[in-house]
Amino acid sequence: MNSRNAFSRRDFLMAGSALGLGALLPGLARAAGEELVAATFPGTWNEAHRNILKPAFMKGIDASVVQSIILGTDQISRLEAAKGGTPPFDVAIFDSPQVLDAVKQGLIMEYPVAKSPHYGELLPAFQDKWGPKISMQVIGIAYNPERVKTPPTRWEDLWDPRYKGRVGLTALNSQLGIAFLAELNRIKGGTDADFGPAFKALRELLPSVGAIAANLGAYATLWQQEQVDIAPYNFNFVQTLKGKGVPVEFVVPETGPVGWQTSMHVVAGSRVPELATRYIDTHLDAAVQAAMMKPPYDVIPTNGKVALQGAMTQTIARTQADLEKIRGLDWAALNPQRSALIDRFNREIRA
Amino acid sequence: MSTASTTRLTLPLTALFAVCFVAPLCVLVALSLAAGPDGGVATIGHYAAFVGDRFNASILFDTLWLGVKATLVCLLFGFPVAWICARAHVRWQSVLIFLVVLPILTSVVVRTFSWIVILGRHGLLNQIVLGLGLADEPLRLLYSEAGVIIVLAQVQMPLMVLPILTVLSRIDSNLFDASQALGAGQWRTLWRVAVPLSMPGIIAGCILTYAASITAFVTQTLIGGARLIYMPLFIYQQAVGANNWPFAAAISVIFMVAVLVVVAVLNGFGRRFEKHV
Repeated sequence: MNSRNAFSRRDFLMAGSALGLGALLPGLARAAGEELVAATFPGTWNEAHRNILKPAFMKGIDASVVQSIILGTDQISRLEAAKGGTPPFDVAIFDSPQVLDAVKQGLIMEYPVAKSPHYGELLPAFQDKWGPKISMQVIGIAYNPERVKTPPTRWEDLWDPRYKGRVGLTALNSQLGIAFLAELNRIKGGTDADFGPAFKALRELLPSVGAIAANLGAYATLWQQEQVDIAPYNFNFVQTLKGKGVPVEFVVPETGPVGWQTSMHVVAGSRVPELATRYIDTHLDAAVQAAMMKPPYDVIPTNGKVALQGAMTQTIARTQADLEKIRGLDWAALNPQRSALIDRFNREIRA
Repeated sequence: MSTASTTRLTLPLTALFAVCFVAPLCVLVALSLAAGPDGGVATIGHYAAFVGDRFNASILFDTLWLGVKATLVCLLFGFPVAWICARAHVRWQSVLIFLVVLPILTSVVVRTFSWIVILGRHGLLNQIVLGLGLADEPLRLLYSEAGVIIVLAQVQMPLMVLPILTVLSRIDSNLFDASQALGAGQWRTLWRVAVPLSMPGIIAGCILTYAASITAFVTQTLIGGARLIYMPLFIYQQAVGANNWPFAAAISVIFMVAVLVVVAVLNGFGRRFEKHV
């Protein structure tokens, strides 16, 4: 054997080490320049953040941003797992229920209001010392106008025998699922301590239910495949589907809109808290929020300087003042019950 | 090569195995014994809670049973495919093997979503059924166990075909000729010669397909929906939805042990069969 050409064990180890070093290099390169890692939600949010927020944030600064698509509950899990070390991302995006968990577990820091020039422009209801509210999510009834000729007006319409086998629901691992159950419970006379009325109504609805999606991604598919014709849904997701040509409309039931807020936070232990604050502040900028309010994003603004426009003014709120009146849910009472509610829901719905 | 140097050569793999598999497994078991999310006194309460509840036990049983059904469907369709591949002319063999491997080359998410289009209310299959007048209204294929089994069988098919094909192509074809020369028909040759000799491949294929089917979170949830609860969705709900990590860890351990038992039974069956042959 020609020893010069042979691939010795030492060569192999050196090549292996070089490969290993190569894998580590992106990390080393990152340490040299400033890079912000920001969490974003899938779907509409990810698109709005990539197309509007990122370019606005990058204007005039020498830093880069990586937008990582992670659900709120997954963000909590990952931050908890990384507690004590460097967090996997610097900016968190949460819906109301996760904020309570994050504060309780020390995963986010107080928002440096003084360093955020646009914070003061937010409506008072959307200011929060743990991080500003960047939008609202509102739920109502979505329906396929080609098959549901009379638009529904109340939640009870879901029980209409005409829609037998055509009603859709989503599991309780999403805010939509919990919020619908809580609103149903309120309408049927239940309290946060007693979900009996909601589950009784749910049992009566089950024969009409065509499908219960395990997650929101699958829920959107139900509409695209016209597997369901009427179901509780988020305003924003309906707008996104409409933008893609799916026959779906959104109405707020006569009992009024119900929703929760979406907020952004600087993660505790972030290596670049100033950049994180700047990124969040960019989201509060009236120009950015006005751009996100346009279709296909239809993100509800929280900056008082942005006049409401488009589909949201026909269904959810005509003015900023109406936004503050949207009924919220008592997440402090709901969060501790989440596990028990999921368990009970599973038992009730199991085929 | 001496035993000592062979042992040294396996050290990197052993280290990798210890760090990436054994250590996380120990963490999982430790977490499953924690009283609450923040630790606390070790308890077997989560295991007791799972075993003591018939609802939980039925989810475990349904998951294991789903694996059996998907594996049988895979075997029913996979064996003939492997048989055709093994007996085909060399030129065709590579084309057929490529076709068998093709599904693995695309993401399981993409494959599953394409099945949603096929099985949906207005999907391809329902259009054919309605077009031929076989039913008055669209069949409910999505969000049903039948749908989950159909998709699992297709998605996992290569895992069944490849091991059987490997074994079948090693069998001396003179044995089939000898069987027929001695008067056995084609079916008898298949049943008495080909199947017993390919049993190691069948067992390996069944183990792979079974393990992949019962843990197929994406396919089970996208095709089955939330009303068909199987163990992977149940674990996900407890961990992420309910934030109950210790219970999620406990049911993961129970699930893993249950799967290992089934795999051990299949292995034992394979060994007994080999001795018999």
